[in-house]
Amino acid sequence: MEVKPTQRLFNVGQRPDELTLKPRGDKPWHRLRPPFTRRHWLAWRGVYNPKSLRRERRLLDKRPLWWGLGLGGLLVVTPFMSEQMINIAAIFCIFSAINVIWTLIVGAAGIFSLATMAVVGICGYAAAAANVYLGVPWPLMMPVGAVVGLVFGLFLALPSTRLDGLYYALLTLGIAEICRVSITQIKALAPNNSSINNVDSFIPAAWHLQRPGLLVGFAAAFLLLLAALLVFRLVNSERLGLLLQSAREDEAFSEAIGIDYRAARWWVFVLASCALGAIGAFYAMFYRSISLAVFSLDQLLLLFAMIVIGGLGRSEGAVLGTAVVVLIDKGLIGLGPLRIIIVTAVMIVVALFARDGLTGIKAQFRGFRNRKKSERRAARTEKGGEVMPEEATEIADKQLVYRRLFDKRLRDSLKALITPELIAEHRAKPLGQHTDALDRLLNYFRREEMPDKYGILRVGPLTSCSYRVIALSGRAGHPPRVVDDKLYPTLNEAFHAVFLLRVNDLLAS
Amino acid sequence: MMDASLFTYALYLAAIYSLMAIGISLLWSSVGMVNMAHGATFAISGYAAYFAADWMMPLVKAAVDGPQSMTVLAILTMAVGIVSGAIFGIVIYLVAFLPIHDKPNFAVRSLIITLALNLASVQALLYFFGPQQKALPRFLGSGRMDLFGIPVRIDQLVTIVTTVVLLGLVLFWLRVSRKGLEIRAVMQNSEGAALCGISTRWTALPIMMLTGALAGVAAVLLSQNIFVNPTAGATPLIKGLTIALLGGLGSVPGAVLGAILIGFLEAATGIIPFLGQRYVLVVQFAFIVIMLVIRPRGLGGLLDETRE
Repeated sequence: MEVKPTQRLFNVGQRPDELTLKPRGDKPWHRLRPPFTRRHWLAWRGVYNPKSLRRERRLLDKRPLWWGLGLGGLLVVTPFMSEQMINIAAIFCIFSAINVIWTLIVGAAGIFSLATMAVVGICGYAAAAANVYLGVPWPLMMPVGAVVGLVFGLFLALPSTRLDGLYYALLTLGIAEICRVSITQIKALAPNNSSINNVDSFIPAAWHLQRPGLLVGFAAAFLLLLAALLVFRLVNSERLGLLLQSAREDEAFSEAIGIDYRAARWWVFVLASCALGAIGAFYAMFYRSISLAVFSLDQLLLLFAMIVIGGLGRSEGAVLGTAVVVLIDKGLIGLGPLRIIIVTAVMIVVALFARDGLTGIKAQFRGFRNRKKSERRAARTEKGGEVMPEEATEIADKQLVYRRLFDKRLRDSLKALITPELIAEHRAKPLGQHTDALDRLLNYFRREEMPDKYGILRVGPLTSCSYRVIALSGRAGHPPRVVDDKLYPTLNEAFHAVFLLRVNDLLAS
Repeated sequence: MMDASLFTYALYLAAIYSLMAIGISLLWSSVGMVNMAHGATFAISGYAAYFAADWMMPLVKAAVDGPQSMTVLAILTMAVGIVSGAIFGIVIYLVAFLPIHDKPNFAVRSLIITLALNLASVQALLYFFGPQQKALPRFLGSGRMDLFGIPVRIDQLVTIVTTVVLLGLVLFWLRVSRKGLEIRAVMQNSEGAALCGISTRWTALPIMMLTGALAGVAAVLLSQNIFVNPTAGATPLIKGLTIALLGGLGSVPGAVLGAILIGFLEAATGIIPFLGQRYVLVVQFAFIVIMLVIRPRGLGGLLDETRE
């Protein structure tokens, strides 16, 4: 019995192994929405894959996936880690929350404020003092911090629209210094080296610095980070954020169409200060004390390094940068001053090579790859009928692009075959059996397209006729045109004349 | 209240601050970067000067005797400070300017890199030399002399005179030399200068070296009064930056005026009984905050407007 060879199927497309979701064609597509909104949780899109000719479901924005993996992983792994690592994870969450809110001020509102830690510190002090000296219970400390942050933010926001860029940065740096010095001058705090200790906390006093206490602290810090991300999302991607985005793209234009971007900036700044105030109160509760170290310039610069390494203006950048710097700073604490040098080395490398920090690397790499691709394509192209790179992007059917490249190569090889002997051979015998080279040439000529294809027209009566060369129009209803007024007495000579014209066209192409 | 010694003290502070502020201001207006590593240049030149003075002291004492030996040592140490400042300027040029000066986001990225350089150099100094403070020999003298009937501390007088002379030389060089002309062209319009064939790279290098050298001079002069330690650069950096901003970035007269104002303010705050030395920084920042709220573009903006 004859064995039938197994059929081999080739996978089509650039990444045939990529997992794609196939939608069920027979069922309506349900998408989950957050309650009371018309938004979707995930950006699913149905697309048609032109390579595999299949319908696919694609997740257009994969960031929620990464967020889920990263934060979920942290939440799952942390309870099994050592106590030191739990503490590091909690500190990471707190700093991430601060940085996410700071990103809102710097990135979304475009206000270059360095008073972040000043707001956190002042509100932390205020909340701690309210607890210790006024007896405010700990659940009310975060609202107290938020209110103080609101007031302080209103005060800080006054000059923010008047000064720009560096000048405002300097001003806020000055305000941070003023805050630090004025706290050192409070007489009541002087015995404790200007710190407030024994602050009540959500962590029971008996658990302080014990494993359950650390776990509670981490859980609360994690919730704080989630809340900060929610604030970022609500401000940055809703109405205020859209107004500010238009201002970032073109200030004059957005003002001309009636967007009051100064008011929007002001609102974002005040809201962010309010959030920072709440974080400050949390900070005091987490450590059960607050000291002047909050205001130190080194701490501020380290926070700045975090948002810069991750990428200014993005929440994922703030969190990623915080993770990198906190891991180096707290994880390698045995290295001493060397770890700050490592942080600065990372900073320099990121600033030198990545335009927008770590989270901007993907877009930057894509741009780089596209540029190199088009450079290579441009270098490879010779003129001669095939598709130019700028044209290629506009032809949907890529088979056509390749067909023209193939045609060009074929013509190049055929041109090499044309010799005087070959032409003499055709003149001697236009029809009948030919050499291989002439056969190839004639085969190519027979495949030409109809427009401008040559034909032979008989002129005069059948008994004493002569022949003339014409070119077909290629369009129905349009007559052929006469190529020249030469008359050929025999059909063979006319064949040869057409052959010469075609050879001429081939060599000229 | 404002007696003569206070007056010279204020001028002395103004001299040191203007050396720092003009460096930052020049660099911003010509190259377009905020040099946060200026404090690191200050600290490193201070260390270089300390080690040079330590090493040269016996050699100079052996070669020259009498009171001239201190003068020779002062000149040599100053030279070491200038050279090391200029060399660190080249380092900043190579790391923070050359690779990215024509890339997007240059202003922010160079600020980040210089900030990182600053942090790294402070930590490196701490790592290699420890947190101990080093005292340079008092080669500028410590006595007082009478100047038109006013008792003046000699080191302060030397500092003021050196600064005025050096800044005068720098401004004169900027005014008359070919390179100075190129630098001024870049300051006015960097694109226009590039179109006229002035290389941004070869103009930025001397500016970096010049500003580094100015920081080196400031380090040697100030280290007569304070000790050299790894974080010694932080205060001069902040003072220089604030004064450069107060003067309006890019304006040399604004920077000088700002330095004089801040110098007098600092000297005056120190002696007011209920304020005292602890509040110097607060008073300064409060003054600058008020000034910036009144004049958002700094003092230089004011001068520019009147010129027009």
